[in-house]
Amino acid sequence: MTNSLLTKQNEILLLHTFDDTLKPQIEELLSLGKSAGADLVEIFLEKSDNISLLAEQEDISNVSPSFGIGAGIRVFLGKKDGFVSTNDLSNAGLLFALNQALGMLGLVTGSKNKDKFEGLSDFKDFGTKKNDWLDHSPKLDESTIKLIEATKLLADKNKNLQVRRASYSRNWQEVLVAATDGVFARDIRLHQTVGINVIAQQDKNRSTSARRYGSSGNPNDLRNWEIDKSADELNESAQKMLYAGYVEAGQMPVVLANKFGGVIFHEACGHLLETTQLERGTSPFQDSINKQIAHKAVSAVDEGLSNHAFGSLSMDDEGMEPQNTVLIENGILKKFLSDRAGYLRTGHPRTGSGRRQNFSFAAASRMRNTYIKQGNFTPEELIKSVDDGLYCKSMGGG
Amino acid sequence: MNTNQKTSGLDSDVLSILLEQYSKESEIKKWDIGASSSRDISVQVHQGNAKQLKGSQRNSMTLRVWNKKNQVGITSTSDLSSEGIKKAMRGAIEASLFGNEKESPEFSPLAKTELKEINSIITNSHSIDELLMILKNAEKELIDSHQSINSVPYNGLNESYMERIYINSEGANRHMKLSQSSIYLYAKAEQENKKPRSAGAIRINSNLEELDIGSCIKETSEKLISHLNYKPIQTNKYLICFTPEAFLQLISAFSSMFNARSIIDGLSLMNEDSIGNQISVPNLNISDEGLHPKNVGAFSFDGEGTPTQNIKLVSNGILTNLLHSEATARKFGVKPTGHAGLGAKVSVSPDWLVVSKSESEIDKDESLDIKTTVKEYILIDELTAIHSGVKASQGSFSLPFDGWIVNDGKKTSIEAATVAGDILKVLNSIVKIENEQVITHQGISPYVWVENISITGEA
Repeated sequence: MTNSLLTKQNEILLLHTFDDTLKPQIEELLSLGKSAGADLVEIFLEKSDNISLLAEQEDISNVSPSFGIGAGIRVFLGKKDGFVSTNDLSNAGLLFALNQALGMLGLVTGSKNKDKFEGLSDFKDFGTKKNDWLDHSPKLDESTIKLIEATKLLADKNKNLQVRRASYSRNWQEVLVAATDGVFARDIRLHQTVGINVIAQQDKNRSTSARRYGSSGNPNDLRNWEIDKSADELNESAQKMLYAGYVEAGQMPVVLANKFGGVIFHEACGHLLETTQLERGTSPFQDSINKQIAHKAVSAVDEGLSNHAFGSLSMDDEGMEPQNTVLIENGILKKFLSDRAGYLRTGHPRTGSGRRQNFSFAAASRMRNTYIKQGNFTPEELIKSVDDGLYCKSMGGG
Repeated sequence: MNTNQKTSGLDSDVLSILLEQYSKESEIKKWDIGASSSRDISVQVHQGNAKQLKGSQRNSMTLRVWNKKNQVGITSTSDLSSEGIKKAMRGAIEASLFGNEKESPEFSPLAKTELKEINSIITNSHSIDELLMILKNAEKELIDSHQSINSVPYNGLNESYMERIYINSEGANRHMKLSQSSIYLYAKAEQENKKPRSAGAIRINSNLEELDIGSCIKETSEKLISHLNYKPIQTNKYLICFTPEAFLQLISAFSSMFNARSIIDGLSLMNEDSIGNQISVPNLNISDEGLHPKNVGAFSFDGEGTPTQNIKLVSNGILTNLLHSEATARKFGVKPTGHAGLGAKVSVSPDWLVVSKSESEIDKDESLDIKTTVKEYILIDELTAIHSGVKASQGSFSLPFDGWIVNDGKKTSIEAATVAGDILKVLNSIVKIENEQVITHQGISPYVWVENISITGEA
């Protein structure tokens, strides 16, 4: 087995579709790692095909396609892990990366180890019904027309919208995950984002407003974008903010609107429920399972199942299917979001939350779609309960 | 053919030959590329043990083509095999059909001029074991420095090597290599009945031997100890002293003021007539000095092959120059300044900001001094959440910060607070710029004092 890897210098995995015909090559690599003494070896292969577009005023000002390939190889030994990423998907390139990852943990290929690799499980292909997503996504001509339509509509809304920008990004990704615990799975992901932003100017007053909308797994997302509704909403915000004064500094009660009001929960609480934070000892909720950590009106769920939601996925970046994970129930902490390394280092079971930015990052526990469940009061009742405070309609930058 | 071998780095001759061939086949007469290749190795530790060890070998390339109508299309790829380059060529030609006919970039007129020599030291990389040992020792020394410091949750020691090239169809051929080493230590301390406190520091150098790990440990430890005793402060307007790091963060967040691209796009506080305007108190100078010897990440050319240049942006409080790409320079009737990226619409960004005090002007309050001032002020050390708390095109900011309230020279850590304001008001409310410039990993600045700034506290 070793010989074939070392001699097929020019065979590049990139030229393959990611399917079970790669099984012998991948098993060979995994076997080498396992026989070197690794507890677990994982290979993540990625191909990407992305487009980023920008329309400014009446023109398309930027069209940026990009393609990517890469592999991340992770080796676990005890609670340590070595991770190496590479763009070189030739056998030689992958072997080099494996050897480097093993070497980080003091392991060398060729050494004899009694733990043998039993081989990969049957191939799980979550991408079977997604093979046509890329072809069915809007092409450049269709996408650019849609963006120009958006900036023109904004111009019609108000003459004081002096800067009008619309952007679109389409990120297509094909991934394959294989590990010595038998995981062998493929998926295709499609994420699309449209954004519009404006600067309104009247005399010396200036306001900026922006909106962003995203989806996953829906090639028709851009086609179905209700541009007029978005333009109305953005224009209304820009006009209101144009003459808005500065708020007086100080502490006051705040009512958070739904949707982007969740950014506060995501940033201030959600990240602290990821095992990545527990591993570092930086979460105040470390020992709070089954304890009251929030008002009893708060129940929070993180899940990867909602149709077309931005954080939905068929498998995480470690090949595990997503779950509906109840994090907080009636104010009581029920669960952390965990990935493979999180389970290994903290003991909290995996939740299908192993995510990576791309092949060059090892997976980490990350939120998918996070929801705060409905409470007992209407928005009007919440606002009415505040004598002097803020209503936070939208947040950005999380 | 595969040009993507992990040990060979970039071969500009091979890339050039391939691109000439493919462009000829595609009837493309004008093209350019920027490509980079990097190798990187890093370690993290946790309580004396290796935690995560990382390595990477990465290549990337951005190809730009001009079609027969002079429309520009680009494509980026991380696949530098011949197939990958062919695919990129096809992608760029397709994208060019949507190129902006009103504003096409051209080759930089300076893409073939002589480059200033940058003394980039390429050092031999170290083994994982060597890096681990160094970082484990640093973690131990930091934890041992005070009984309350119990962990260093964020840490890393990194060595990287990078090559970058720029080639165009008119014969420009730039190539540069550099190596870098960096360490960051972000420690946490806990005391009974008090909130956990944290602080960190970072150091970067061109090689591991000269990386000042000792001062990184010392700065982290001293800073963290100074935050152990904290208190809330009242919401009010205060006299502020920005540390060099914090002032550079603030200026960088509003660098669209100096950015010709942002001005053309209407995204800057400045406009095309702002050159020559007084935008701050008259004793402030700001320049961008990518070629400064302390800028260890300096490249000698930008994304369009233009030589990196030092440029004065604000002199005696007056906006004197802007940062340019080829396209923006052409529009303003000046020369490119070496601050461009590479794209169909080329971005512009600063390299290494340097803030100084104008020698010809005096401070509004000369008595202020970081070492001797006894009156009450807020010392802002680090601004956070800059990505969400700054509206650069409006000039407003509202940012959480780490810092101290200082009375009679005695520093007390602030539990939690936010600083808010308008950048132009800040620049015009500067009352003192200290003489001594401090070199940081993101540029150079002295301590800068600003009066009447709004702080929201929790007292």
